[in-house]
Amino acid sequence: MDVMSHSSAFLLPKIPPDHRPSLTYALVVLNQHIPKFTPLLWEHAQLRLCADGGANRLYDEMPLLFPREEAVHVRNRYKPDVIKGDMDSIRTEVLDFYANLGTETLDESQDQDTTDLHKCIAYLRDFTPDIDKSNLCILVAGALGGRFDHEIGNINVLCRFSSMRIILLSDDCLIHLLPKTHHHEIHIQSSVEGPHCGLIPIGMPSGSTTTTGLQWDLIDMEMKFGGLISTSNIVKEEKITVRSDSDLLWTISIKKS
Amino acid sequence: MPLLFPREEAVHVRNRYKPDVIKGDMDSIRTEVLDFYANLGTETLDESQDQDTTDLHKCIAYLRDFTPDIDKSNLCILVAGALGGRFDHEIGNINVLCRFSSMRIILLSDDCLIHLLPKTHHHEIHIQSSVEGPHCGLIPIGMPSGSTTTTGLQWDLIDMEMKFGGLISTSNIVKEEKITVRSDSDLLWTISIKKS
Repeated sequence: MDVMSHSSAFLLPKIPPDHRPSLTYALVVLNQHIPKFTPLLWEHAQLRLCADGGANRLYDEMPLLFPREEAVHVRNRYKPDVIKGDMDSIRTEVLDFYANLGTETLDESQDQDTTDLHKCIAYLRDFTPDIDKSNLCILVAGALGGRFDHEIGNINVLCRFSSMRIILLSDDCLIHLLPKTHHHEIHIQSSVEGPHCGLIPIGMPSGSTTTTGLQWDLIDMEMKFGGLISTSNIVKEEKITVRSDSDLLWTISIKKS
Repeated sequence: MPLLFPREEAVHVRNRYKPDVIKGDMDSIRTEVLDFYANLGTETLDESQDQDTTDLHKCIAYLRDFTPDIDKSNLCILVAGALGGRFDHEIGNINVLCRFSSMRIILLSDDCLIHLLPKTHHHEIHIQSSVEGPHCGLIPIGMPSGSTTTTGLQWDLIDMEMKFGGLISTSNIVKEEKITVRSDSDLLWTISIKKS
């Protein structure tokens, strides 16, 4: 089985040039409080999208992260390439502001079967010929908090697009999928993340999971809701390995700066 | 709690809202807080030797096993501050619902509530529309559901399969005052709470 490598290098001020895997980042902003490190994610991203009400968040909250600058300068600087979704949350003045700056707006209000995040991921997968998909990593800001069904809907997008690298981010933690098709190596960036972590058998029980590098490693352990789930674990080593017979969610805390 | 009563003195509010029990591994509670409540007569139960279960799990087990004065058949446990923050904590709290699936436990935040609908029963959910809704969801936590049927929702499920990676009922809307749910699998019910 192939090894899949993971690292939160996108949380570092500068991604080391020899960092592997070498990835292209896209940023999607959703309609919850944007994390304080969103400007950093913005810098690393080649393409920046807002999912519907995420544009309101960008408009309202990005200036708050630069209190010494005028709001309009900040808004001009952080202009998304695309706003996509069913457009039932975005405020009219926000839509007009970004449309006037040249942001492409893609109204998908006829499609009520998928979430705004799902629409954005599908767009990145299907309509961006300039981006190398094999190296694409999609960072999703404002993915957690608020209504629980929204959170779960976002997690389900990770499961529905399980062959893509998608990372959900909040101020407190990040979440991404570890598909069962690979052995996983997670390289811990201890200046920005950890030590609290967890492995979660979302969607179905895991008959066997084995890890190295955690305080409470799993050795051929069964995990399921109603039984054992690895939460409040601690990363001990710089490299964590995980292999499992089932798709797992990996989550790790993000350090307050 | 004092922040919710800005016109009162903090010490009066704290005296009025005195917990009966503080339980857990005691690695988060501040010393001055522990002393304040101990002096008021709160029972403190230090379980720091048990690192295998979460603090919520310890509290639920306490309520199940050590409260002879409470009629367990009618007990409903309300959990405040259950959501938000670290995702693994949230999931740990949800797992407590699954581990104590025969008890009524409701996780609450400002935005929504969550509780289990065990597969052992048909469920009737009576919506209090002055305080909750309309956004709701049904989530097959832990394993796929082969068949779920609902009434009363905008997008009802009719013998529908639900699983992560496929269909899950999120961003649904309550339409009627009574929702019914039956499923071959334990489901989480979640509904939004209205801002007052």
